[in-house]
Amino acid sequence: MTTSRSTAETAGGRSSGSGRPPAWRGSTIDLGQQHPRYGERVIKVILVGAAWLSVAVTIGIVVSLLAPTVTFFTHVGLGAFLFGTEWTGGFGNKFVWDDKSWGVLPLVVATAIVTVIALAVAVPLGLGAAIYLSEYASERVRKVLKPVLEVLAGIPTVVYGFLALTIFTPILANLVQFNTIHNMLSPGIVMGFMIVPTVASLGEDAMSAVPLALRQGSYALGANRMKTTLRVVFPAALSGIVAAIVLGISRAVGETMIVTIAAGSRAQLTFDPREGAQTMTGFIAQIASGDAPQGSPVYYSLFAVGALLFAVTLLINLASIRLVRKYRQVY
Amino acid sequence: MTNVEPDLATVPETVGAAGAPHQIHVELGDRGNHRVPAGEPDGVIELANLEVFYDKFLAVSGVDMLFGSKEITALIGPSGCGKSTVLRCLNRMNDLVPGAHVFGDVRFHGVDMYGPGVDVIEVRRRIGMVFQKPNPFPKSIYDNVAYGPRVTGMKTDNMDDVVEQALHGAALWDEVKDKLKQSAFGLSGGQQQRLCIARTIATSPEVILMDEPCSALDPIATAKIEDLMVDLAKTYTIIIVTHNMQQAARVSHRTAFFTAAADEHGQRTGRLVEFDNTGKIFGNPADQRTEAYITGRFG
Repeated sequence: MTTSRSTAETAGGRSSGSGRPPAWRGSTIDLGQQHPRYGERVIKVILVGAAWLSVAVTIGIVVSLLAPTVTFFTHVGLGAFLFGTEWTGGFGNKFVWDDKSWGVLPLVVATAIVTVIALAVAVPLGLGAAIYLSEYASERVRKVLKPVLEVLAGIPTVVYGFLALTIFTPILANLVQFNTIHNMLSPGIVMGFMIVPTVASLGEDAMSAVPLALRQGSYALGANRMKTTLRVVFPAALSGIVAAIVLGISRAVGETMIVTIAAGSRAQLTFDPREGAQTMTGFIAQIASGDAPQGSPVYYSLFAVGALLFAVTLLINLASIRLVRKYRQVY
Repeated sequence: MTNVEPDLATVPETVGAAGAPHQIHVELGDRGNHRVPAGEPDGVIELANLEVFYDKFLAVSGVDMLFGSKEITALIGPSGCGKSTVLRCLNRMNDLVPGAHVFGDVRFHGVDMYGPGVDVIEVRRRIGMVFQKPNPFPKSIYDNVAYGPRVTGMKTDNMDDVVEQALHGAALWDEVKDKLKQSAFGLSGGQQQRLCIARTIATSPEVILMDEPCSALDPIATAKIEDLMVDLAKTYTIIIVTHNMQQAARVSHRTAFFTAAADEHGQRTGRLVEFDNTGKIFGNPADQRTEAYITGRFG
């Protein structure tokens, strides 16, 4: 290989060595930059600054989350925090650590239950809407429906929370027995509706991005629309669809207002969705908007729960990246 | 090819010498006349007074054709002359184009393909299609070939056999038999196109439509596909749209020349100019426009 390349270079490359020097040797033509281009430099500095600022802000958030979290864990064991089944952080003497239980499991379980309910609503509805918009709807219908769907994503979550408490819970109360007005079922379902536009819109984008040629190939082989959608378009768009669902999960885990309003503020470990229970975000909202004196145990616990929330979302995102890589069909 | 207006009589020979590195299966000396039996072909698909509209735009008008069984028919003509539109009518792929309307008769063995009660899925199973750009599915080679039989619910004793037969039929088996489970995207462009042909013949069609199947391929891959077409014509009826006149001259039995003529409103509507044995079209065309096109004076 090396020999042949070097031969090629001597043969076809610059005519160094033998031969006359080119006639223009010593030319005075200046091909250097003729005018200073300050504007370009300024723009570049601004753009680089914007990029690094967002990185810096992210790092800043993590750091400011970490320091109080570390303080929290000097008083509470990691095991007691992660696996304890009782959370009484808001009770008792505000400045005493020892009279409280710091087991975060009740909050985590409540978050998980609400999230699962929300996904049970959002994934089928969202993907159904995505399939309809991308594969079945006419151009005209799509042009109307997609913006409407995206407006749905812009409704403030506090409105959804109110909806859950005042409309959905009473309706559900006719069907299932609730002990209090607060429960996890109603906010879960409403949160699912809230996430539908996210899943539908991103899912539709992913499926629309699948080349038309693949669909044509499928139709030309005698496949109908459903088979083309499920066997060709859906697998080809899977990575985008998984990303849409993961974003939905992240929104559900991090959603605050709906659960604060409709799931109540009792931190209790229960797997019964008819019961009210406080989620991680619900706890943070309640304490942060109430009286948590700086430096008090419950103040530090806010950061610990926040860090856990951050870690959970991060894990979900990492897992989804792996999942997508594994099942991705490149087209 | 410095000669701008080559002598008609020398066209095929020039092509054979310069453009084809592979063994040409058909003699070009008598310009292919021997390939077609005299008289009307044994028809498979018949078009009568075909008109295609895209919304209000009349794309193709007044096409009457009879496609012969186990023949290769080439549709040639300048861009926008409606040859691809005609091809897509033949397995109702135009149904997928919003606003497309087909009028006139399209008959498959005498049955109106656009008639009531016709299942478009059955039409497409019997009349397969290969596209301009290879479009394998993002699946394994095996699953690509098995796709058609699976989605059409074909009753097969052994899918492995169906896949192997189809890959043999597309002259691809020897190249892929050890990597059937690998992604079709690992294949070269020419292999991908042969995979698409294998995928098509796996549903045992009677007719294969090809829409410029070699335009995205290099000359060697093109030569393989052309060889394959000649082979396939022993079993299947092939209708091919091509921009490559040498290709039409090399492989086809009959050639149809289309061109577009503007009406008083400036709308260009495709029309069939001449449809005859390939040897006649390239050797002694009846219409001046055909002669002008094949000699490179227009289009």
